[in-house]
Amino acid sequence: MSRTFRRAAPVLVALAVGLVWVTARLSGQASGMPSTTKGDWTHYTADVRGTKYSPLDQVNAANFNKLEVAWRFKTDNLGTRPEFKLEGTPLAINGVLYVTAGTRRSVVALDGRTGELIWAHSYREGNRAAIAPRQLSGRGVSYWTDGKGDERILYVTTGYRLIALNAKNGAMISSFGENGVVDLKKGAVFGKGQPIDLETGEIGLHATPTVVKDVVIVGSSFKEGMTVLTHNNTKGLVRAFDVKTGKVLWTFQTIPRPGELGNDTWENESWAVNGNTGVWTQITVDEELGLVYLPVETPTSDFYGGHRPGNNLFGESLVCVDLKTGQRKWHFQYIHHGIWDHDNSSAAMLVDINKDGKIIKVVVSPSKQGYVYAFDRVTGQPIWPIVETPMPKSDVPGEKAAATQPIPMDAHGKPFAYVRPFVHVPDDIIDFTPALRAEALENLKRYRHENSPYVPLILGDVNGLLGTINIGNTGGGTNWPGGGLDPETHIFYSQANNSQVTTGSLVEPPPEFKTDIRYVSGVKGREFRVAEGPGFGSAADAPQRGGRTGGAGAAAEGGGRGGRGAEAPAAGGAAPAGAAAGGGRGGFGGPGPQGLSLVKPPYGVVAAVNLDKGELMWQTPHGDTPDNVRNHPLLKGLNIPKTGQGGSVGILVTKTLVIAGDPQVTTTPDHPRGAMMRAYDKQTGKEVGAVWMPAGVSGSPMTYRGPDGRQYIVIAVSGGNYSGEYIAFALPSSEIKTTSPAQELRSSGAGIRD
Amino acid sequence: MYGIIVVMKVHIAALVLIPLATVSVLRSTVHAQPTKSVWDGVYTEEQAKRGSPMYSEFCASCHGPELMGGEMAPPLASGDFLSGWDGLTVGDLFERIRISMPQNAPGTLSGQQNADILAFMFSANKFPAGTTELSNQAMVLKAIKFEAKKPGH
Repeated sequence: MSRTFRRAAPVLVALAVGLVWVTARLSGQASGMPSTTKGDWTHYTADVRGTKYSPLDQVNAANFNKLEVAWRFKTDNLGTRPEFKLEGTPLAINGVLYVTAGTRRSVVALDGRTGELIWAHSYREGNRAAIAPRQLSGRGVSYWTDGKGDERILYVTTGYRLIALNAKNGAMISSFGENGVVDLKKGAVFGKGQPIDLETGEIGLHATPTVVKDVVIVGSSFKEGMTVLTHNNTKGLVRAFDVKTGKVLWTFQTIPRPGELGNDTWENESWAVNGNTGVWTQITVDEELGLVYLPVETPTSDFYGGHRPGNNLFGESLVCVDLKTGQRKWHFQYIHHGIWDHDNSSAAMLVDINKDGKIIKVVVSPSKQGYVYAFDRVTGQPIWPIVETPMPKSDVPGEKAAATQPIPMDAHGKPFAYVRPFVHVPDDIIDFTPALRAEALENLKRYRHENSPYVPLILGDVNGLLGTINIGNTGGGTNWPGGGLDPETHIFYSQANNSQVTTGSLVEPPPEFKTDIRYVSGVKGREFRVAEGPGFGSAADAPQRGGRTGGAGAAAEGGGRGGRGAEAPAAGGAAPAGAAAGGGRGGFGGPGPQGLSLVKPPYGVVAAVNLDKGELMWQTPHGDTPDNVRNHPLLKGLNIPKTGQGGSVGILVTKTLVIAGDPQVTTTPDHPRGAMMRAYDKQTGKEVGAVWMPAGVSGSPMTYRGPDGRQYIVIAVSGGNYSGEYIAFALPSSEIKTTSPAQELRSSGAGIRD
Repeated sequence: MYGIIVVMKVHIAALVLIPLATVSVLRSTVHAQPTKSVWDGVYTEEQAKRGSPMYSEFCASCHGPELMGGEMAPPLASGDFLSGWDGLTVGDLFERIRISMPQNAPGTLSGQQNADILAFMFSANKFPAGTTELSNQAMVLKAIKFEAKKPGH
């Protein structure tokens, strides 16, 4: 080797190494950046593409039944009282978990190997939190790093503030926003642009923000839309902020303003007197293409659209916007003029499929209504036809239902459904016995029903028809926990409720319920009931004072509800709300006979859809037969196959398994009172294992590799008598084959990151 | 072995000499488990009557005037409610209500109010009334088993 070369060699080597390092950083796969391929879980949805997928495979079909509880984290004291609705999915970065928990919506960091608390953060907000529309611990946090040691956790508080924390110690980052806080209520408006009141204005969020590159994107959520105080509620919006400074980068208005595309879909200038239309679920991003996918919810009033004639873009649409500018690139409206509460409830998932030999970049939505919507995620072109189909009319005064609704087709020209999109009479009606079926059909005579999705509600009356039969329109289908997909096989998976029968009805509001909307949920002749929302009023700062307000400053109504030790809540009292569905965690309510569901099993399923082929692949009942069915006196002696359970739960997809927990507690010959977390074979849907949990799942499962090399699966459970707890499962060391000295070292617990 | 013989002796003596009610007390001393169930007349009609307007005021707006539940709240009578608490104790149910209900003002009702509302719920579920009121103490209520089905059915 020449002397010149020998001198130059180290420089050349250094340059080469530097280039490799730079390239790796640019592609985001550098050693500094966590990812699921490294055994982390960096987003609520595993990654920013919404897949809920991890390639970990230490836990597989052969050993799933051997999972043990590795540790548990109880959340009772993260707030002023225990929480019974723990819904978070933790993040895992280098063996440390980050998640929200408790009635305070505290943020905690936990040692991933032991569950030990490393730090906890909480933010006191007083009345602003007590009256917030979305309370309790929410869905979790987001993570950002510059890859050089600056690591942050970002989350949205109950009172709708965006806070950034030092991931190492939980301290607020004072250089973010104003002393660590971005007040998200600033910038929220109602009407033609009036700012909402910072304390009493209605807006909040359960979902986590989405962090991508150096940007954090935040959506918006509101109260339930059954008995609204005004149709002129706060307007939904999506904003992107600089992740380090908290400065607003762009705002996307989901209700188009004058001059913007879609403004004319709000006839009679109704854009100016309506709100909601938020993005309350998870936002996903194609990082390479710089495209953001926004799943939009229903406009104000889930069930009456008389104050907003027209298709109401971008309500119940998927909107693709530019990551840098927030400019709309394309959109597709799933439901025109939504009057059934068919919010886009979960993340739009990104996958590259192989359709007839061609690779297509796709975005796919699961839905409450049970259809699969798939588009070229660059152009917005549907992958398979979506056909505008005539729909039944509404006879509610002032209402004009959309004449057609888009129905997605699969590759064979059939509706692309993975659960029941409507109740078919008589085929879907309970038939355990002829007597039960006869009773169900008799009950149905009191309702409007048609063999079609999207049947409009009626003005129900105890002396006439009681309501309209629909299914899945409030609780799903797929609801907020969302679906998952396998990026290698291009299969989309979701748990889905197959039995959430609703009996929607509208009524004139009684004089004591002051609102400007013409109809609210209810039945004439029944006591009127106000529906505020799950968990409402249970935040750490509750009970609330005042604040029964929509954006239009109806705070004048004041008085509030309750007060510590005070007299009874005002008679915003009692009557079945328009959509009687027995709660989102299962339970049948409605027109079913003898306490049983109106519809046949399966009551809930896990479904797999092959996106290369464009067809449903398999569907299997998920969850033990509910005790009420198994022990029902009228069903004695019948051999009823496993029915699955209603309710909505999240799903986890790994290298070899699809994992989901039961939403309901049962006591069966196979297990004591409790719920099972189940693993299914990804290709066949066959259940390959199940482990016992003391309560039903209320969060979505996630997985990570701990510092000891073990694969952990963590899930939130709560409900009934069981207050919120994160439970971690892992294999006992006897089940883990070590293949390298380094792995053995990790398994022995040495070298734990602190 | 020795222990079992002693117990058996006590039982035989009880059957021969002591009325049935006292046998229950003796058995509970030996076994230390929930002694009663919701089917044993664990509340009074008077208490349920007190609880009824309280239920209407604090609970019905979410759980329904007929306890059938609603969009945001599960039913508190029949089917799913009974199986949901089957195998637990009345104390467990009492504590859940005391800590977290009503949803929009959790923890604001007194122990006595909670007991009366529970008595009303029991009457709505057709559990038989008896001569003793439901206690307002969780510890006492822990001794009453919540059973979905009447024993023997």
